[in-house]
Amino acid sequence: MKEYASFLGCIIPNRYPGIEASSTRILGHFDVELVQINGASCCPAPGVFSSFHLDSWLAIAARNIALGEMTGKDIITMCNGCYGSLTEASFLLKGNKELKEKINGILSKVGCEFKGTSKIKHVIEVFSEDIGVKKIQEAMNTSLEGVRACTHYGCHFLKPAEMKKHGSSERPRLLDEIVEASGARSVDYKDKTMCCGFGGGVRARNLDVTLDFTREKLNNIISARGDCIVDQCASCHLEFDRGQVEIKKIFGQEFRVPVLYFTQLIGLGLGMGQHELGLDFHSIPAKPLLDKLNGGRR
Amino acid sequence: MTNIGIYICHCGTNIAGMIDVEELARKAAKLKDVSVVKDYRYLCSDPGQDLIKEDIRSMDLDRVVVAACSPRMHESTYRKVLSEAGINPFLLEIANIREQASWVHSEKEKTTEKAFDLVRIAVAKVKKDEPLESLPADVIQRVLVIGAGIAGIQTSLDIANIGYEVVLVEKEQSIGGRMSQLGKTFPTLDCSACILTPRMVEVSTNPKIRLHTYSEVEEISGFIGNFHAKIRKKSRGLNPDLCTGCGECTARCPTKVPGEYDEGMGKRKAIYTLFPQAVPNVPVIDRANCVYITKGKCGICKKVCPAGAIDYELGDEIVEEEVGAVVVASGFDPFDPTSKEELGYGRYKNVITGLQLERLLHTAGPTKGEVIRPSDGAVPKRIAFVQCVGSRDEHANKYCSRVCCMHAIKNALLIKEHHPDAEIFIYYIDIRAFGKGYEEFYKRTQEHGIKFMRGRVAEIFEENNGNVVVRADDTLLGMVMENEVDMAVLSVGMVPRSDSAKIQKLLGIATGSDGFFMEAHAKLRPVETLVDGVFLAGTAQGPKDIPDTVAQAKGAASSALGVISHKVLELSPLISEVDERLCRGCGDCKDICEYGAIELITLDSRNAARINPALCKGCGACTVACCNGSIKLRNFTDTATFAMLEAVLGGEA
Repeated sequence: MKEYASFLGCIIPNRYPGIEASSTRILGHFDVELVQINGASCCPAPGVFSSFHLDSWLAIAARNIALGEMTGKDIITMCNGCYGSLTEASFLLKGNKELKEKINGILSKVGCEFKGTSKIKHVIEVFSEDIGVKKIQEAMNTSLEGVRACTHYGCHFLKPAEMKKHGSSERPRLLDEIVEASGARSVDYKDKTMCCGFGGGVRARNLDVTLDFTREKLNNIISARGDCIVDQCASCHLEFDRGQVEIKKIFGQEFRVPVLYFTQLIGLGLGMGQHELGLDFHSIPAKPLLDKLNGGRR
Repeated sequence: MTNIGIYICHCGTNIAGMIDVEELARKAAKLKDVSVVKDYRYLCSDPGQDLIKEDIRSMDLDRVVVAACSPRMHESTYRKVLSEAGINPFLLEIANIREQASWVHSEKEKTTEKAFDLVRIAVAKVKKDEPLESLPADVIQRVLVIGAGIAGIQTSLDIANIGYEVVLVEKEQSIGGRMSQLGKTFPTLDCSACILTPRMVEVSTNPKIRLHTYSEVEEISGFIGNFHAKIRKKSRGLNPDLCTGCGECTARCPTKVPGEYDEGMGKRKAIYTLFPQAVPNVPVIDRANCVYITKGKCGICKKVCPAGAIDYELGDEIVEEEVGAVVVASGFDPFDPTSKEELGYGRYKNVITGLQLERLLHTAGPTKGEVIRPSDGAVPKRIAFVQCVGSRDEHANKYCSRVCCMHAIKNALLIKEHHPDAEIFIYYIDIRAFGKGYEEFYKRTQEHGIKFMRGRVAEIFEENNGNVVVRADDTLLGMVMENEVDMAVLSVGMVPRSDSAKIQKLLGIATGSDGFFMEAHAKLRPVETLVDGVFLAGTAQGPKDIPDTVAQAKGAASSALGVISHKVLELSPLISEVDERLCRGCGDCKDICEYGAIELITLDSRNAARINPALCKGCGACTVACCNGSIKLRNFTDTATFAMLEAVLGGEA
C-alpha cells in the first residue's frame, strides 16, 4: 500500500468533486491511498500570482508544501495549476539557499518550514510510474473500444520543460499511453498542445479571448471526429466544460463534447457509473459518450 | 655576481598612463645587482630591442628583466634579443605590468607600487634562472590528414605539391565528402562535381599522396615531429587491387536499400559505389544488407565479377604510418531535425531537409534533378524553406551555421528558374549573406519573386491531402500567419560529426562548447590546436562554406608544412627533469601527467620515472605530485619560488 498526501487546490473541491472522487476510487483500486493535507490553501496560481509578487507566491506555495511534508509523504496534485505552483516553487527554493532562508523566515511566523523532503508529483505520474500502463490495461473490465479520445495535457504540466521533465514537451505521450491502456483510442488533432485558454489570468480578464482559444481547440477536436476530451487538469477541465456553455452564449456556437478527467475515463473502463465518477456534475452531459459505449457493448 | 638590466616599456599610454614609469625606474635602480634601468616608449620596436642589445654588449649584462606586457605577447621576442646579443635566452624574466597592473587598476600610485612588486619578483627570479639549451628532435617529414572532403583534399594537395608526403585517411568508401553530395554551389552556381572531381582525380594520381579510403584512424601516439598512427582499412568484401570498377556487380545485385548518400531520397544496391565519379572507383559490400552474408544465399556479384575480385570473407587490415604532423579535416554532420518535434520531420512525408532537397536537385541524384515531393511524387508548386533549424536556437544549438541562408536562397532560385510559376517562401530570422558575392546573389533571388518571410516557424502541421501548413509569427506584419504549402524544406544546420569525440580522444585536442574542435586562438591561430603538430581544417572546427573551408585548408597545409619542412625541431627546454638517483619509482607523476610524457623505466633493478622532453609541456603538475622532490621544473625551482616570495614580502631582492 503506497500513500500520498493529496493537495486538492480550489477548483476540484468547489466545482469538480468528480476529479477527486474518481482519482481516489481508482487509486484505491490499485492500492494507492490518499491522505488529506490539513489547512492547505490556494496553491496559488502559478502564472498570475508569481508575476505580481514572486515572494508572496513562493511563501504561500512553500507553506502548502510544508504542510504536505508534515504528513511525511510525497505530495500529489490533480490540477496542473497546483502542480505547476508547487513544482516550480520547490525547484526555485531547492536551487537557491538565500531565497529558501528568506521564505522560511516568513513561514516561521506561522510555524512552518519548507524542507524539500517531499517529492511533488502529478497524479498522472502515479499512474504511469507507480502503477504502470500494463497494470491499468489488465485491470480494465469494460470495453472502451471505438471511443475516439482527444487528449489535452495542459501547459503547466509540460512547461517549463527544464523544471517538469516529462520527456518531450512538444509531443508528449504520457496521457496518450494511459488513454490507450484504458482501451479508448487516442486521436491526434491539430494544435493538440495548444493552451485551453484558461491560463495566465486571461479567463478572469478577457473571457472572450479565453473562449476563442477554447473554441479553436474544440473545432479542431470536432474536425478529428473526437468523441470526448480527456484532460488531466482541473483548470483545463473547467475551461472545456463550462467554456462550452459560455461559447454558446457569446459566440452562438454549440458544442456538445463531453469532458473527462483521465481517471473518469479509466473509471468507465473499470465499469464505474457516471455518478460514482462525478460525471453528473459536469455542464456538458457525458450521455453521448455513454450511449456510444452502451451501443458498442452489444 | 650578477649584472642585471631592467627595461620598462611605456606601451604608449597603455602602461605609462596608469604607472609612473619614472618613479618605477627610480625604485628599481636601487635593487641589488641591478646595473641599469631604462624606460622606453615601445620596447618591442626595433629601436627598443636594439637598446637592450646595446646595453648587454657594452655593459656586460648577464641577465635581463623586461617590465612590459604579458609574456604570452613578447617573451619570444626578448629571448631572441638576448640570444642575438650573445647571452643565454633563458636568463630573461618578464614582469607583466600591463595585463596584471596598468590595464586592471585605476589608482596610479598604488598601481605603480604593484608594478614595483612585480619587478622585484622578476629580479629575484632572474637571479635563480639557469642557462638552458633547446632540445633537438628529428622530424618525420610526412603529414597525416584525417578526412578527405574538400578540406582534406585541399590540404593534401597543397602539401604534396610542395613535395612532401601525405597520408590521407577517409572513413567513407570514396573521397569527396559532403561537397560531392551537392549539385550547384552558391553564389556562382558552378556545379560542385565539375570543380571537385578534378581535385579528387589529382589526389588519386599524385604519387606523394598515400590514400586510405574506407579506413579509420584507430590510434595515434607520439608527439610533434614523431606521430605514429594505426589505421584500420575496413574490408570492402572484395580485393580492390583486382577490381576494375566495371560496375557489373552493382548492376546485377538484387538487393535495394535506402541510400545514405542520397539522404534516403533514393535507393542503392547492397554492393555499391557512392556516386559515378567515386575515387577510388571500387564498390563496397554493405554487410548488413547483403543477402549472401546475412543468409548465405545469392552470391550473384561473385559469379558475375569478371575480375574475380569478390571475397566475402576478406577481413580488415591494419596499417601503420609514421608522420610528423596531423591535420584533422573530419567535417560535419547535418543537424537531425527529428528532435524539433514541432516541425514534424519524420512524421510528415512532405517535410524534408535542405540536404535531401539538394539530392533531388542534383542531376545525378535519385530523381535526375526533378524536385518531387515524397508523399505522392507530385511536383510541388508551393514550397516553404524554414531557416535556422537547429541553429540560433536555445533548445538546440546556439551558433549560426553560416551556410543555410545561402543554401536555401540558392535552391529557391534553382527551383524558380526551373518552374517560374512556383511560389517559394523563405522563413528567416535574419538573412546572413556575408561572403563575397553573396549579398548580390540574395538580391538577384529577391528579384525573381521569391518571398522572404521574416519570422521563425513555430509549427508545421499536416493537412489530409499531404500538404503542410507552416505557422510563423510574421514579425514585419506583427501577425501569426499560416501558409499551406506542398512541401516544406528544413534548412538544417551543421553539427559536429557523431564520431568527433573519438577523434578528440585520439589526439587529445579540445572542443568548444558547441562541440566543434577548438582552435588555439580564435583570431590569430585559427588552424592550430593546443596540441603541437595537430592542425584543423574545414567544418571540423566550426560551420563554414566551401570558400572558407578551402582557405582554412590551405592555412592548415602551410602550418603543417611549417612543422615537417624542418628536419629537426627545437623543443622548449622549460620542462620537468627527474633526479633519477632520488626517484622511488612510485609512478604518482605518471598518473598526474596530462600529456603522457612520463614513463617508468627500470634502472639498476628498480623503477624510476623518465620524462619525454618532446611531450612535456612544463606544466609542473608532476613536481607537485612527487613525494620526495625528485622532479623539478627547470627554472621554476622551489629555491626560485622562495626567493620571489621573499622579495615581495619585504626581504632583500
